[in-house]
Order: sequence, then C-alpha cells, then structure tokens
Amino acid sequence: MKQKFGISRVLAILAVALFAAGVSLIQSNYTVLVINTSLMYAIVAYGLSVMLGMGGQLVFSGTAFMGIGAYITANLCSGRLGFSTATPVALLISVAGAGLVAFLTGMLFLRLKSSFCTFATLGFVQVLYSLFQNHEPAFGGTKGIPNISTLKLFGHPVTGYKQWFYVFLFAVVLVALVVEGIRRSRLGRSLASIRDNEIAAQVMGVNIYWTRVIAFVVAGLFAGLAGSLLAFQNGFISADLFTFKKSSTLVIMSMLGGINSTLGIAVGALIVTFLPEVMRGLDNYLMFLYGFVVIFMMIFMPMGIGGLVSDYARKLRRRRRLGGGKNA
Amino acid sequence: MTIRLFASLFVNGVTMGMIYAMIAMGLILLIKAVGVLNFAQGDLLMIGAYITCAFATDLSMPLYAMLPTAFVSFALLGVAFMLGTYWPLRKASYPVAPIIATMGASLVLSEGAVILFGSWPRTMPNLVKNAAGKVATFNLFGTKIQYQYILIILAACLAMYLVYMLFERSYVGRMMQAAAQDKPAAELIGISTLFTTGATYMLVVVLIGFAGYMVAPIYTVTPSLSSLQLRAFAGTVIGGFGSIKGAILGCLLVGLTEAFATVSFSSYKDAVVFTVLILFLLLRPQGIVKSRIGDKA
Repeated sequence: MKQKFGISRVLAILAVALFAAGVSLIQSNYTVLVINTSLMYAIVAYGLSVMLGMGGQLVFSGTAFMGIGAYITANLCSGRLGFSTATPVALLISVAGAGLVAFLTGMLFLRLKSSFCTFATLGFVQVLYSLFQNHEPAFGGTKGIPNISTLKLFGHPVTGYKQWFYVFLFAVVLVALVVEGIRRSRLGRSLASIRDNEIAAQVMGVNIYWTRVIAFVVAGLFAGLAGSLLAFQNGFISADLFTFKKSSTLVIMSMLGGINSTLGIAVGALIVTFLPEVMRGLDNYLMFLYGFVVIFMMIFMPMGIGGLVSDYARKLRRRRRLGGGKNA
Repeated sequence: MTIRLFASLFVNGVTMGMIYAMIAMGLILLIKAVGVLNFAQGDLLMIGAYITCAFATDLSMPLYAMLPTAFVSFALLGVAFMLGTYWPLRKASYPVAPIIATMGASLVLSEGAVILFGSWPRTMPNLVKNAAGKVATFNLFGTKIQYQYILIILAACLAMYLVYMLFERSYVGRMMQAAAQDKPAAELIGISTLFTTGATYMLVVVLIGFAGYMVAPIYTVTPSLSSLQLRAFAGTVIGGFGSIKGAILGCLLVGLTEAFATVSFSSYKDAVVFTVLILFLLLRPQGIVKSRIGDKA
C-alpha cells in the first residue's frame, strides 16, 4: 500500500514539473495569462472539492468569497482609501477576511440541509454581486477598482504573467497538498461519513454542523486566496468576475476533472478555461457542444476524468496482480 | 408614495410574481415527482418565448393554430429534456449528477437558441391591441396599465389551476404522485414510472413554455430571459420547498418586493430580493407553508 502512494506521488511531482517546464517555454503572454486564470479557478474548485466531493453539499458560494478576497485586496492596495498596506500583509488580510465571512455565513447557511443550503449560497452570490456592482464607496461600483499595485514577495515585485504563473503554481500545489491532507485527516473522514450516511456519522460521534462549517471556511479561505491573487495579477477588478454564471462554471469544471480527484480538478480547470480560447472559431457552437459534453459526462463518467483514471488504474492493478499470480 | 405609483408597482409586482410562480410550480413538480432540481428552468421559459415568437412572427400563424402547435412542441421538448437529462441518470451513483446535467442542458438550450434564432433581441407583438393596433391600456388610479399585465395574471391563474387539478385530482395525477412518493411500490401496482415521469416533464415544459409566451410581450425575447429563474428559486424557497401553494405565495412576495424595491433602491433590487430569501431561510427554513413530503433533491 505504501509503495503505491509513493508511485502516484512521484507521478504527480513529475506532472507538475513537466507542466511548469512546458509553460516556461511558451512565448505567448496571452496563453500564460489563460493558464494563470485556470490555475486561479483550480484553487477555488479545490474548495468545492472539499464541500461537494468530500461533504456532498453543493454550494455556489465560490465566486462570492473570491470577490470578498479580491475586493479586500483592491481596497488595501490601490490607495483609494487614502492608504496602502504592504502587499503580503494585504494578501493575508484578504484570505483571513474571506475566511471570517465564510465562518459567519457558514454558521447560518449550514444549519440548512441539502437543497436549501444550495439555494442560500446562490442567494448569497446574487446579493454580493449586486453589492459589488452598485456600491461605489466600498467596491467601486460599475467602474470597478483599478490601479491595484502588484504583489511584492520578499521585496521583489511580481511582474509579468510568467512570474505570476510560478506564484499561481505554488499556490495551487500548496492548496492541493492541504486538500490531500484534509482527505486523510479526521476532518476529511468525518465529511465523507456525513456525505455517505448522516445518521451513521452522528452515531459515530461526528459533529455534523461544525464539521460542515469548518469545510465551508476552508473553501472560503481557498476562494479568498484565489481572489486576492487575481486582484494582484490583473491590477483591476470589477463585479462581472464574480457572477453566478462563473460559480456554475466552477461546479462544472470540478465535476469534469473529478470532484474527488486532486490532480483531476486542476486538469478540469485547465480544460474548461482553455477550450473557449482554443476553439474560438467555433464560437456559439462551442458552448452548445460543451453543454452536451457536460450531460454525457454526467451519464458516462460522473466522477470525472480523475474518477475514470483511478478506475482504470485499479483495473490495471488487479489485472497485474492476477497475472502475477498465474506466473507464480 | 402616491396611490398612482403604488397601483402601478403593485400590478407590476403581481404580474412578475405570477410568472415566477409558473416557473416555481414547474420546479416543484419536478422535485416532487422525480426529485431533480432543475437549473434549466429559466432556459425552458426562454425557449418557450422564442418558439411562440417564431410561430407568431416568422410563420405568422394565427392564434388558434399557434397555441396548439406551440403546446405540442413544448410537450415534445419536455420528453426530449427528460430523455436527455433524467432517464439515463436516474440510477446515478452520485446524487448531484442529474443536477449538473440540467446545468449542461441549460447551456445547450441557451446557446442553441442563439444559434437557431440569432443573438439579436426579438420583440413579440402585443397580444392585446386596441383599435389602432397599439398596446391596449387602461387607467388605474391615474396610471396607464397595459392589458397584457392583467392577461398574464389571469392566464397564469388559469394555467396553474389546471395543472394543480390535473396533478391533485385526476387519475393520471394520482399515478404521478404515487410514483413520486414511492417508485418501487408504484411499479409493483402497475404504474409505469417511465410514463409518469414523461408526463410530468411534458406538463412542466408546457407550463413554463406558456409562461415564456406570456412574458415575451413585456420583455424583449433574448437568451437573458433565463435569468428569471433565479428569482423563481427564491420564491420557491421562501414559500416552503415542495409546497405549490407556498411557492405561489413566495413568488408573489418576491415579485412585489422586487417591484417596490425599485422605488428606493433600484440598483439593489436583486440584493433586496435575495436578502429576503436568506432571512427567510434562516428564520423560517420550513417556508411559509410546510410541505408534507421532505426535500428529496
């Protein structure tokens, strides 16, 4: 068992390294920007993986917390309030702020069960979007917030999309490791037990309410981090980045990648963000076909690409074991 | 607030509330009968508006030919929708899978409408015209109100009453309810679940398509009509998930809140509507009317 984890870990590290090397060779700035965007979405999607994949609760709040993170960063680092904070401090404040809001709203929303909770988060996204778009003093209104200074890490400002790529990659790997940690921790197992059988979980002594709140806060922290990094990279944010539509895209990309597969989610985010760029010529037909792909995927592989790969790997392993038995 | 303004806002609120109520009723029928949360509800309404608009303007069909043709095409669309998003997934191991499938269907429908009908907005000719062929209006406390609004309210009441009677009183409706409450038991006494699910989907799409036809003259027909569904969701939850009467009340509340919110905070009207939703969820999660059957989606 231990050795198998070793193999998949080595494979994952290899994949990340290959990916980084591949991207560093790309000349086009725009392509790198698209990759950065997809990595940013992957961070938010990991939050959904904790909520939906482990906990079985569909939430749409991803973009709302992204927005909170992004707007805190924007307010602290664009000087529009009359002061500017040091950028790493602003990053921490943004993540913590998103986490705090997630904690407060989570305490309210997660008292509700399944669909009710889904609708509450949907309403939350709508309320925040409407605030982002209209409240001039705090969120810049329809004009958004420009002139956000870039992140300074250890006195070195991050400039250019390529440098940002490494920052995003680091963040994604960090978040992915956290998710893997959670999956194997008490929290992850509690969440899975709630997903599979709530009553049994309760009997085993799992505190359903607090476990779900903690998972929600984790998702909020991830989304806040993604939003803050987005604000730093773009230097400008506006409300249309944080719509309900973006939230449902997030759900689709995590389902495509495989809601319970850490590597799969990053792949799903890459595919969903890249497809519209690659197939620009198809235009309307692209989203049309994409809708069909989503339906077919739900029919034939509801656990996504990650689920498909792990199924195949399991089959392969079993065949090898059987084959080995015959030889011996 | 003058009585003039009040009257106009009130009529507007009730009208939109009735439209939301039709969407919500379809949503609840699907949740009760098949246990699926449908995120393509608004897109089905949008398609309904496009289909009737195309029949009425492009093919210039008269009303008596247009309505039956439209209803038949809605019913066929309903069957296609069921075969695409529900039937293959009814035994899915992952309960969220059918919900995500409806999100995919929402994309298919909205983009399909753009491909088929073009992305420019269309206008639906007014249903109620005066002698000069213009929009017919009447005076209510000094404000001009289109007859279309009154038509929507009446037609929505009638449509929802018919669907309600069909679902609650008729034999077919009893079969659908039986299948909804306990599938294996219903199958055992000889009710075909394929038939009842198909009938439910047909009924729902006909109802929503009709709502699209009704709302088309007061909006322009664009793919963004589908955004009406979010407010219908809010009304559904406020009313108590699963109760049709509650959902109608909830949707009227949402429509009125939205209409009156435009006076003092016009740009925040969405925020007001959804804050009401969240308040309701927290203070009275069982909704205005508590349903007897629990949440299955």
